[in-house]
Amino acid sequence: MMAEPLLAIEDLRTYFYSRSKRAFIRSVDGVSLAVAKGETLGIVGESGSGKSITAMSVMGLVSAGPGVISGRIGFRSDRVERQLLEGLDTCVALRREGGRVMAVEKDDDRWAGQVEKNMTGIRGREISMIFQNPKQSLNPFETVGRQITEAIMLHTSHKIEQEAKEKAIEWLDRVKIDSPRLRFDNHPFGLSGGMCQRAMIAMALSCEPHLLIADEPTTGLDATIQSKIVDLLAELKSELGITTMLISHDIGIIGRLSDTVAVMYGGTVVESGPAKDVLSCSPEGKHPYTAALLASIPSSDAVREKGHLQAIEGDVLDTINIPAGCRFYGRCSRVTDKIREKCDKQEPDLREIASGRRVRCWLYFE
Amino acid sequence: MSKTILEVVDLKKHFTHQRGIFSALQEKMRSIPAVDGVSFYLKENETVGLVGESGCGKTTIGRTILRLERPTSGKVIFDGRDITLLSTDELRGLRGRMQMIFQDLDAALNPKMRIRDILTEAIGVHHRLTDAETEKRIAELLDQVNLKKSKLTNFPHELSGGEKRRVGVARVLSVGAQFIVADEPTSALDVSIQAQVVNLLRDLQKRLGLTFLFISHDLRVVELMSHKVAVMYLGKIVEMGMSDKIARAPHHPYTHILWSSLTEKQSREVAKRAVSVQAGRWGVFDFERPAAGCRFAPRCPVYESKGRPAVCTEPATEPQLVELDGGHRVACHFPL
Repeated sequence: MMAEPLLAIEDLRTYFYSRSKRAFIRSVDGVSLAVAKGETLGIVGESGSGKSITAMSVMGLVSAGPGVISGRIGFRSDRVERQLLEGLDTCVALRREGGRVMAVEKDDDRWAGQVEKNMTGIRGREISMIFQNPKQSLNPFETVGRQITEAIMLHTSHKIEQEAKEKAIEWLDRVKIDSPRLRFDNHPFGLSGGMCQRAMIAMALSCEPHLLIADEPTTGLDATIQSKIVDLLAELKSELGITTMLISHDIGIIGRLSDTVAVMYGGTVVESGPAKDVLSCSPEGKHPYTAALLASIPSSDAVREKGHLQAIEGDVLDTINIPAGCRFYGRCSRVTDKIREKCDKQEPDLREIASGRRVRCWLYFE
Repeated sequence: MSKTILEVVDLKKHFTHQRGIFSALQEKMRSIPAVDGVSFYLKENETVGLVGESGCGKTTIGRTILRLERPTSGKVIFDGRDITLLSTDELRGLRGRMQMIFQDLDAALNPKMRIRDILTEAIGVHHRLTDAETEKRIAELLDQVNLKKSKLTNFPHELSGGEKRRVGVARVLSVGAQFIVADEPTSALDVSIQAQVVNLLRDLQKRLGLTFLFISHDLRVVELMSHKVAVMYLGKIVEMGMSDKIARAPHHPYTHILWSSLTEKQSREVAKRAVSVQAGRWGVFDFERPAAGCRFAPRCPVYESKGRPAVCTEPATEPQLVELDGGHRVACHFPL
């Protein structure tokens, strides 16, 4: 039985209206996830599968003009209990003509106000986020130390600057930055990519949030630095017991750090379950996409024998023209004649096939 | 024994830059040794992989070999001729045989040209063909890279990453290139698409007898693609040998760390972590003032464990590539 979820996402849909195409880009299309207290949920998927947009929806960062969110995101810690999407639907109206959405009318000011109302006391304090590109996420005009100090003063009870500064240095030390007192006064450009990412992690954790969202924390870093950052995250995880939502396209990292894993494809979760089951080598009981994804990674054996890699034919799903049937049908190699009709016409739902394991595939439904 | 198609001898490329207008007046130029004395050779129908962290000079080597950059010193001998001495006209003739697959998919294809025009133009530069022959050649190329004919009328932005990469490969093949520098051809692609591209490149090599210099930071892909691998650190090759030797029995501490960081990341259970030798300090390195002696010493765990021997940091005793056994070469005073 799953422990009480800290964050529960139900049927989240985040669409962006494209005026030139006169259609919705369905980036996130019906995602349900739960992150239990103290555990790490890994979300894997290829680019465009909706991983980052899911995280941004949780953080209330989908505020720009054409973005529309529906669904429920419940957050519940010992300090706060709140619905993060409350009232957002009233800020948007869709203008339809003959069943087709022609335009999105969105009251941006009211939307922004509502997001602020929902997120006050949550963003930074309860949920904080590490972004993909550390160098671009830090303010280039401020020293790293000041940026962390600012976050601490804003979100925690340390309101005196000197006190917050000491706290910031302590955190820089905890994320293993050499001579933190000196680095405190460095600007982001004076730090390497790996150090910037450490500083980001320090900033995110300095307010002692309940939930940490790490969006591709190692992408764009060198292999040696990547493994250092993964080590650091693993260490902090066991030390602080912080609940984490880890997003990455790198299955190796997800496998190292996660307790449960959700695999996303074309805006939906196609499979979820305990990490060791979902990422195990056998294709048994797996969504064909997960199996193919795992097979397309050059394994040590394949590399040794210089064998042919198993590529997934076809291309990543176009999120505007989503087919009526299974999203993976066009690229799937495990369709049997018995279920072909269903795969083509009807989208399967995410069903539990074994305890804790849910798969969205007709193959396993009888 | 196949013949050597390309030989690089003590190649150096130093970039210079000025800091502020006053240093320019004083003619004080700072020099960055992006590539600092690199030698290797490529045999026909062979792939040599070039790995290293970002900023170690991999791409600069690729560009200098093709004379997209003029080398500071050293020789690049392609098919018996030193191309560093050739004039622009003479180079143009050679360009038909040596080409580069660029890293940035979007920057490499002209956004205002249709795929058909991109390929036609490339064919037209090096070969005089009639329209019908060009058409036939394009069909042949599309077949070789597995691209649908319907994509010919598309613009680059209408294609997915994998398709753009295929167009890039088709363009390189269109001029009849035999030697190809592939600069990070699989980065920026999703894993499932990455596998398609790796398979494609290997098929083409088998069918057309191509020679690749394969530059990548993705160690697994390099190992899979290459016969030989050269590991670079700060502008120098620190180890070179057959790819399976490099991956499984490395002698240089840096190579060891590179590959163990991979397995460590890959291992699915935390308990199964590889024994790590990563005790060295991992700070920022200063390219303008590389450490005296061995450049890797400040980060090297072996240097630490040996009690910081002076031989590693003496400028006079900078380690040179030494052959160990069976063509495996390593630049280290204390090979593992």
